[in-house]
Parts: sequence; C-alpha cells; structure tokens
Amino acid sequence: MSKKKITMALAGNANVGKSVIFNHLTGLHQHIGNWPGKTIEKAEGTLHYKGYTIDVVDLPGIYSLSTYSLEELISRKYIAVERPDVVVNVIDASVLERNLFFTLQLMELETPMVIALNQMDIAKNKGIKIDVEKLEKLLGVPVVPTIAIKGIGITQLLDKVIEVAEKGRKEIFQIKYGREIEERIAKIEEMVKRIQFYYPSRYAAIKLLEGDEEIEREIAKIDPQIVLLAKRLTKEIEEIHGHTCSTVITSERYEKAGCIAREVQKLVPPLKPSIEEKIHNLTTHKVLGYPIMILIMLSMFYTVFIFGGYISDLLNHIFYGLEPFLIDVLGAGAASSLLWSIMEGIIAGLTIALPYIAPFYIILYILEDSGYLSRVAFLMDSLMHKMGLHGKAFIPLMLGYGCNVPACLGCRIMETERERLLAVFVTTLVPCAARTVIILGLVGQFLGIHWALMLYIFNLTVIFLLGRLAFKTLPGEPTALMMEISTYKVPHLKTVLKQTWFRLGEFIKIAFPLIIIGSLSIKFMEFLGLLELITMALSPITVEWLGLPAITGVTFIFGVLRKELTLIMLSTLLKTTNFASVLTTNQMIVYTIVIMFYIPCISTIAALIKEIGWRKALLITIFEIAFAIVLGGIAMRILTLTLS
Amino acid sequence: MEQQRAPDRLEIPLTSLKEGEIGIVSSIKGAYGRGGRAGRGFEKRLMDMGLTPGTEILVVKSAPFHGPIEILVRGSRLALGRGMAERIFVVKKENV
Repeated sequence: MSKKKITMALAGNANVGKSVIFNHLTGLHQHIGNWPGKTIEKAEGTLHYKGYTIDVVDLPGIYSLSTYSLEELISRKYIAVERPDVVVNVIDASVLERNLFFTLQLMELETPMVIALNQMDIAKNKGIKIDVEKLEKLLGVPVVPTIAIKGIGITQLLDKVIEVAEKGRKEIFQIKYGREIEERIAKIEEMVKRIQFYYPSRYAAIKLLEGDEEIEREIAKIDPQIVLLAKRLTKEIEEIHGHTCSTVITSERYEKAGCIAREVQKLVPPLKPSIEEKIHNLTTHKVLGYPIMILIMLSMFYTVFIFGGYISDLLNHIFYGLEPFLIDVLGAGAASSLLWSIMEGIIAGLTIALPYIAPFYIILYILEDSGYLSRVAFLMDSLMHKMGLHGKAFIPLMLGYGCNVPACLGCRIMETERERLLAVFVTTLVPCAARTVIILGLVGQFLGIHWALMLYIFNLTVIFLLGRLAFKTLPGEPTALMMEISTYKVPHLKTVLKQTWFRLGEFIKIAFPLIIIGSLSIKFMEFLGLLELITMALSPITVEWLGLPAITGVTFIFGVLRKELTLIMLSTLLKTTNFASVLTTNQMIVYTIVIMFYIPCISTIAALIKEIGWRKALLITIFEIAFAIVLGGIAMRILTLTLS
Repeated sequence: MEQQRAPDRLEIPLTSLKEGEIGIVSSIKGAYGRGGRAGRGFEKRLMDMGLTPGTEILVVKSAPFHGPIEILVRGSRLALGRGMAERIFVVKKENV
C-alpha cells in the first residue's frame, strides 16, 4: 500500500452530522436532514488533500457497538475487520454524555481515532461550554471542535486525521471497570490471546461477558472452552450485582462517560427557556400540537399550489408566445412534426411538472432540516399504532410526499421486518411530488384548490384504512417507539437549496429523456396504428368502467415510468394543456384517483424489490393496480350520482 | 459500583409519574412482546440510550390518546412509546 493513501471512517450516534462532514469532504450528496436514522447504508467517497488520497466512509448512526441492530453490526465489523486507518468519531457537543458512551466503546476496539466535537454552536446555545484540551487529555484522543454545517473545523479535522494516520495507533486510554469485573476480563482475555481472533482480545473478553451473540458464535467455532468460561464468570458477576452482567458493564461505561462529561463541561443554563424550547413545547403540545401540525401541512400545500400555479402560468405564456416563432423555424413536414411533438413534451414537462416539484421540495427539506419531523413522529405515535406501526414510521411516510423511492429505503428505521413491510406498503400509497403535479396541476388548476385538498384527505383516509387492513393480515405487536428528539435548528438555507437543486437535477436527467422517448414512441405508435390498438384493448377498463376518454389508456402505461408522464403525455396526445376543454369534472377526478393509487412507478417497484423481495413487491404492485381500478370505477359512479 | 436499591421505597412504572416529576431507574421488567427473545434486545436498547439502573429520568410530557412520553435523560430528549415506558420501573424522587 502506498503511503499516500488513507482510509477514514465516520462513526458516531445518529443525527450528529456525520453525513454533513462526509458531504463537505467528498462533495457528494449524501442525504442530510434533522432526524435520527437517515443514513441507512455506508457511503464511500474520495478526496485529495495535501498529496493524500483519502477514502471517506460514512457509517450509519448507532448508539452502541452491540449486535442488536443490523447497523451496529455493520459498523462494528467494518471498523474491526476492514480496519480503516483512522476512525473519526463525530460527537454531538450538546449531548456529550451519551456520545462519550459510544466513544468509550470505540476506544475498546483499539482503533486509531480522532474526535470531531460537532454542533458546538448548538451546545453554546444550550449554555454548554466544553474544555476541549481537557477532554483530549482525559481520553488520550485528539479532539477537533467543528460546526460542520458551516464547514468550520473541517480542514483542521483533516490535518489531524493525516497526523494520526502517519503516526499509527498510539496507546489509547481504556476505561477500567470495577475490580470484580476487571479480574474476570483478564481471565478471559488471557485465553482469547492464545487464539487468532480479529477483534482485540480485551474487547472480545468484555463482549463475551456482555453476552454478545456474534462474538460468542465466532469464538465457539475456535475454542468453545472460552465461551463456557465466560458464561460461568458472567453468572458470578450477576450474583454479585443482582443485575444482568451486560447491564452492569453498560452502567459502568455510562458512569465513566458521565464523569468525563461533568469534568469537561461547564453548564450555564440560560435564565429563560430558549426559543428552541418554546417552539418545541408548542409543537408537541397535547392540544395545540395537532392543529399546528394541520396548519403547517395546509400552508405547505397552499404555498406549493399558489407558487406552482403562478410559475406554471408564466411559463405557459412564454411558450405560447414562442409557438409561432418555433413553428416558423421548424417549418412543415414529417421530420418537423416529429420534432414538434418532442418539443411539446418538453414544454409540458417544464410548465406542468417543474413549477410544482421545485417549491414542494424546498418546503419539505425546510421541514426536514428544522427537526420538525421527529415531533410529528411523537404526535402521530398512537395513530400509527392502529396500523401496527409506531411514530417513527411517519417520517418515511412524510418523505414519501417528496419521492417514494428514498421513502421506501427510509423505512429501514423500523425495527422488525414485519414493520418494514407495513411501512413500505403504506408509503407507496402516499402521493409523491409527481402525483402532486397531477393533483394540483389538473384538479387544483381546473376544478379549484378545494377539490385537490379533498383528494389529499381522501388519500389519507384510504392510506389509514388500507394500513389497518394490512395490519390485520399481518398481526403482531408493534415495537414501542424509542427515538431521540433532535434539537430544533434554523434550517440551513444553503443545504435546503442544494438538496432541492440535486433533486431537480435528477428530475431533469431522468424525466426529460423519458419525456422525449415517450413523445417519440407515441408518434411511432400513431404511425404504426398501435395507438388505436392499445386504446381499444384498454377501453373496457378506461371507457366502460372508469368513464374516461379511451386515449387515457396510453397515458396510464407511460405513467408506470414516472407518474407525471401521465399528464404530460395526455397533453401531447390531446395537443393542449387546457385540460378542461377535453375532460369533464368527473373525468378529471377519476383520472387523478386512479393515478394516485394505480401502481408505484418503476423506480419505486425497484426499491420495493430491494427492500422486501420481488414476491412481495409484485403482490403490492398487483394489489394496487386492481385497487385503483376498482376505486376509480366506484368513484365515477358515486360522482355521477351526486353531481348530476 | 454500588447498588442503589431501596427496598422500602415503592417501585412504580415510569408512566405513573406526572409531568415534571423525576424518577430513578430501578429495573426494567419483562420481555417485550411474545416469547422472551425480543426481551433482551429491548432492555439493551434502553441501556444503550442511557437508562441504566440508578439514572435520573425527568418526565417532560406525555402525548394524548395513550401516546408516547417525552423524557429527559443524561441531557438528551427521548420519546418513548407507552408500552415501553410501562416496563421501566422507577423510584419517585421526592422534591428536595
């Protein structure tokens, strides 16, 4: 290995800013926000600094190095087996004690490390002052204070990482447990030293006493005697203390973390409750919390509608103004009519989809970055229990309003497989930004905002009922909620805009080529007479059952690729964006209801397959198609009865 | 480490503390869900978040409709589902 290459891993509790540091270092776009559990898989990136090539690995946030959750096992194995040159332990300066509890465990893994003491600004606001030098001395690990979101301290952190990587591991301070425990650790350690094992022997000894299943299993393969001895010694400790051995060790570790925290931090609690606290109390208030939540959702919805509608109109005018000019340039003939149909698709994409998607993401990211989502999880916990889930599931559900794909992956914050399946299922029913384009751009624009709002409420009701139904078919006790409520922050505008920009970039990169291909294939199908064939074949459903124009059948097929394509293709097929001239009120509503539910788009199906396997993904897909068609038909009949 | 056991004092579930009251963790009861398998994981998760025996917990508020409770423990704000909080037994700390 060349001397100029360094691997560094970012490890630490959830929501301390690991991904923020990662993005700063690598220029990549790991998703960041203010709620615990965003990073679900380790991410890797590279940077060049002072002649070094540094590979940076972002690990999921964890509270312990045990093996009760997959993230913990992944992180522990990565650090112990892959042996990165330096582990950067990112800690939240405002919750020092709990973060140090994790630091102490990392130190037991005997890995070279640097501590990034992050969120110094939040700690300061809370009246916490930390003596960095003293902390460094007590732990024997270099500590660099940082405010990652503003990029403060990042270069100093890199310098330290290089320094530590060059020097290699020096003797790292390890905590001493009570005498009765230390004696027993020593006995086991002596035996572990004799075998070849990839974890440090002291670490393995401690973990055996804690009853760690993975290490027990691995060691039993080499020398079962060691495990037997450990089990006997564990019993002895339990008899002395009257608690399980793992509880005793965890308590002592926390005791130590508490001691260090108290020694290095000075608390000057502000005299009056901070604004952060006031907002927190208001937004989680027993009574007021709920109307505030509804108000926030409504204003989000209205802002997107008004802003999106305005921009959409503006763009429409511009393109209509340009139309004669464009026709002039393109001229007449087969080739130009082909080009023109592509142009129409692109114009529809620009005027219908983008104006709604952009403001939507900005608001969603502001909410996410502020820390409000974990409050909503708190408020919605009991309602989510009715669907066999707990409050945390509401976070991916909310993110589903942006895009179902990351939301499905985000369902990994649920603890059991059953809950992940339930959460993923309800998430696919949430109208994503693409479906919002149809709801606001079609129903909102042509029938009025109240119809759009009603559709959202209808959608929520259906989600709740289907969620309950799924819970009934997959019974089991929901895991109880246990979640850290993150501190409120003023949303970081640059981060919000950057993430929105990144999303829009993705939209343009993926959706526009699809729009072009879609427009072209429609032209070709028209030319080959296939268009008629498809609309004919689907007409029993579209015309007879749903009461829609036959041509919509084609748009449903394109919608599988991306939901906004339905409306965009409809406008190319009908050669107008004034949908009121071609669809009746009932048709618009039925069309939108079907689009809202009929199938998760192809990217969501791929995400589903990844998360729950192809069988269940297929099942959900088929169910949703059938459900949407049945629902649409029923809605059409009810609407005809009531509105005629 | 010294045992903080007070047999003469009443152990009550965390959920019976009122808002603003402080309890000291004495034990965590019972396996969670059916079968004892999940029990250990449940206890370990609580421990890792800092709810070890002898720790002070401040009950900040409880959500309506049998919802979760918000607690302050070791300087961090946690939301705990009611089912979980019911299994945490504490000794109420009298006002000093």
